[in-house]
Amino acid sequence: MTAMDFAYILEALPDLMTGLKMTLIVSFLAIVLSCLIGLVGAVLRTSGIKPLQYAVTAYVEFIRGTPYLVQIFFIFYGLPSLGLRFSIFWSGVIALTAWASAFQIENFRAGLAAVGRGMHDASASLGLKRWQHSIFIILPLATRAALPSAMNTIVATVKNSAYLQAIGLVELTFVAVDRIAYDFRAIEMFASICVIYLICVFTISGFGYMVERRLSRPFGGR
Amino acid sequence: MLLLEFQSFLLDGLLNTLFLSSVMIAGGTFFAVIFAVGLSAQTWWLRRPVYGLVECLRDIPLMVTVLMVYFVLPHAGLSFNPFWSSALSVSVWGGANGAHIIRAGLLSVPSGQREAALSSGLRGWKGLFLVIVPQAMPVILPPYVSLVTSLTQASSLGAVLGVNELLRSAQILIEQTTIARGGSPAYLVYGAILVVYFALCWSISALGAKLERHFAKPYQRTNGKTGLAKPAVALQISTT
Repeated sequence: MTAMDFAYILEALPDLMTGLKMTLIVSFLAIVLSCLIGLVGAVLRTSGIKPLQYAVTAYVEFIRGTPYLVQIFFIFYGLPSLGLRFSIFWSGVIALTAWASAFQIENFRAGLAAVGRGMHDASASLGLKRWQHSIFIILPLATRAALPSAMNTIVATVKNSAYLQAIGLVELTFVAVDRIAYDFRAIEMFASICVIYLICVFTISGFGYMVERRLSRPFGGR
Repeated sequence: MLLLEFQSFLLDGLLNTLFLSSVMIAGGTFFAVIFAVGLSAQTWWLRRPVYGLVECLRDIPLMVTVLMVYFVLPHAGLSFNPFWSSALSVSVWGGANGAHIIRAGLLSVPSGQREAALSSGLRGWKGLFLVIVPQAMPVILPPYVSLVTSLTQASSLGAVLGVNELLRSAQILIEQTTIARGGSPAYLVYGAILVVYFALCWSISALGAKLERHFAKPYQRTNGKTGLAKPAVALQISTT
């Protein structure tokens, strides 16, 4: 077992940073899209319109009941033969978004369920209209309730972007494995990307805790 | 029909998937128990490192763990074939997630139960398995069943290292037929194995629900209502 070669890590760092950039871009797009889809899906799932409800439930159950890796392969290798061809980048974004939205729908649905029925009566007695009630009462309260689990899924989205190396997206893990194929420096490469992933995860979850703490003061304007 | 034509080939893959995921579930449970013991150790020099290890395993992407075990262990003189390499890495990952589930479940049993067990003369392992564990089961099982389905899904990661499980069989089948006959059947084959995986995970969840009902029963009989303990810590296994 050879000792850790820090000079080599420094040498590989620019490459790793390019990979990290791709990881962050893909994750960011997937996080934004999946949160939007999650919100819409959760509203649809609680809308009371039966066919829509069943469709959303089936989607969530199917995504959660099948391996993510197979979903990626289906989207990247399977869909082109049906005439839907995406680049590696967009396949990655679509696969990651599809996976994360299923979890975000569940998170936001739980958030919506956490808003008590009493709120409805309260806002009706204040004379708020339906849309005012949805936007000013339900949305902030549901977001607050859904935040911890949504943050969990956001962190998992960043981690799961590593799977996209399997279709050849040049992100952090791909860069590391690619360099190992040339230089056989497995220990250095994996140590570096582990540290980078840990930093990403801790930064995001730290940010999540900060937002949570701010929101936990109900009427604190500061 | 392509799938029927090569059904025995795909069936072999499915059998390997079943074997690989059973190994992963067994290994995951093994590591989960060990990590849970480490996490609840009294001495800090045992507890802290285990906690750090578990946190790292939970925070590093599973894909990276799988590749890391495969690429790094040979440098330490431990060479595993792809099968055991993927089995080991996914088991350790499952153990890290399972440890928190088990620990939270055991903590959810009120300490009075432990004292009651002691006063009935049930000490050590006896008290744990006859009094504490049965009561912790309603808390442990729901997240543990979802961990088991996650592990089953994670067995598809074996394909990345080249284990001949269901996903790898599908890849080989697609490659061969694309070369031999032209026109990629990828959507058909991948779609079919998605359905197979879904059926597999669905049956695991159904079995788990049955087990949950079994452990919920004693409390229903005595209380007249469900009386399920609420989990002390809500855990979400969100990878894979």
